[in-house]
Amino acid sequence: MFSQVLTISKFTIIESIRNRLLWLSLLMMLIGFVLVEFVGDLAITEHKATQLAVLAVFLRLSAVLLTALFVVTSSLRELQDKTLEMILAMPIKRSSYYMGKLLGYIQLAVAVALIFSVLLMVYAPVEHVVVWLLSLMFELVLVVALSLVMLFTFKQVPAALTGVFVVYLASRIMSSLYLLSQHPIVANDGIGQKFIDSFVAMLTWVLPDLSRFTQTDWLVYGLVDWSQLLPILIQTVIYLCLLSAIALFDFYRKNF
Amino acid sequence: MLATLLHKDRPVRDVPLPVVLFLIMALIMQLSWHAQQEVVTAQAEDLPAPMSSDAYKMISLNEPVAVSKLLNLWLQAFDNQPGLSLSFHQLDYVRITQWLDTILALDPRGHYPMLVAARIYGSVSDKVRQRIMLDYIYRKFNEDPNRHWRWLAHASVVAKHNLKDMPLALEYARALAEKATARSVPFWARDMHFMLLEEMGEIETARVMVGALLESGEITDSYELRFLTEKIKELEEKSTK
Repeated sequence: MFSQVLTISKFTIIESIRNRLLWLSLLMMLIGFVLVEFVGDLAITEHKATQLAVLAVFLRLSAVLLTALFVVTSSLRELQDKTLEMILAMPIKRSSYYMGKLLGYIQLAVAVALIFSVLLMVYAPVEHVVVWLLSLMFELVLVVALSLVMLFTFKQVPAALTGVFVVYLASRIMSSLYLLSQHPIVANDGIGQKFIDSFVAMLTWVLPDLSRFTQTDWLVYGLVDWSQLLPILIQTVIYLCLLSAIALFDFYRKNF
Repeated sequence: MLATLLHKDRPVRDVPLPVVLFLIMALIMQLSWHAQQEVVTAQAEDLPAPMSSDAYKMISLNEPVAVSKLLNLWLQAFDNQPGLSLSFHQLDYVRITQWLDTILALDPRGHYPMLVAARIYGSVSDKVRQRIMLDYIYRKFNEDPNRHWRWLAHASVVAKHNLKDMPLALEYARALAEKATARSVPFWARDMHFMLLEEMGEIETARVMVGALLESGEITDSYELRFLTEKIKELEEKSTK
């Protein structure tokens, strides 16, 4: 079974190389470099901090965007070209196929994160960048798993990508939303308000708090503490399990 | 029909039991993990200086009105988050006026910044801060009197009742009468200074000013004419006593 997983993962990586994903990552890195040098010229003070903050945010969002786009479009192409049907007609378990795709995409996400962090090392100490990089890898692992869930659910590129970005953005801002809902500026005891507050509170239970991941402060102010990575790692493992379980549950119910 | 049946999702019982158990276990792990996390609390932060309005336009992909509305909410939420140690008394009011300026520059037609200046930030019990906000309203009024007259009218009331500064209230009321000349400005706002003069005991001055206004022919509204005619009679009675 594991050899099947490895084979599928290997072909996922080959496909990404043929799709020039890594070249695209290098191009994004180059754009980031030009952008940050331009920003550096504009800054009057806190020159390095400004450059780092802009670059870190740009690279983080680019990595998430590239990963989600690649996972969704390449998997859906496989589905639409009937390649998936051919694979499932062979003695391969659906769980093996899923694990193979997940493993392949995670390796690609790690490669993208590594490429991006090379540029950051020009502007920040290596230790800070390594912590940031590990956190970005964990974040991208969740983006990969989330993308797989969404594409199995929606089977359409626009809907799947919208789903990925809605959940991702909600996970990034959930703690702020929760604070706002708990302490409204104008008190409102209406049923609608109570429903929204309860809904937001419920979301905090089922979404990972991505605002704790890949923080720009770590790079800009050197607020690096390796122990910060442990809760991020635990959250990643738990949520990866949850997303994988949802994806498998859905995948096993699909007729192709 | 057959195609529909073929593509319909399989029943839940077709999902292998280990996958179902895995799903339940993962969900329990996520909920347990969340339950163990520290409760999110608001962090007190100083209000930062705003960027230029052009910068916000650029960031918002040239959607100045949208970003202005969002900044309104952000600024309001920044000051009002319970749990923060910041209160209006601790806020840097000069910085707030910079933010209000930026928001107004992004959306000059919006009234939100003026409303919060007059009714929220201008309602604190700290007189120094109140004066900063009233000055701000006066400055914005001078930039566009016919748009911001209502906020200066409010400022005049605040100056009179909260600050007990009648000369300041009168200065604002006079500015209203002299500069807010659009038809949309109601006469009660333009005639506020007569009432203030009367309250200050400046009966003769008030009488002369009302008379001059009536003679100028600027007043065409029948209700305002009637009000001013009655007012001048009332003032004449008071001055003869």
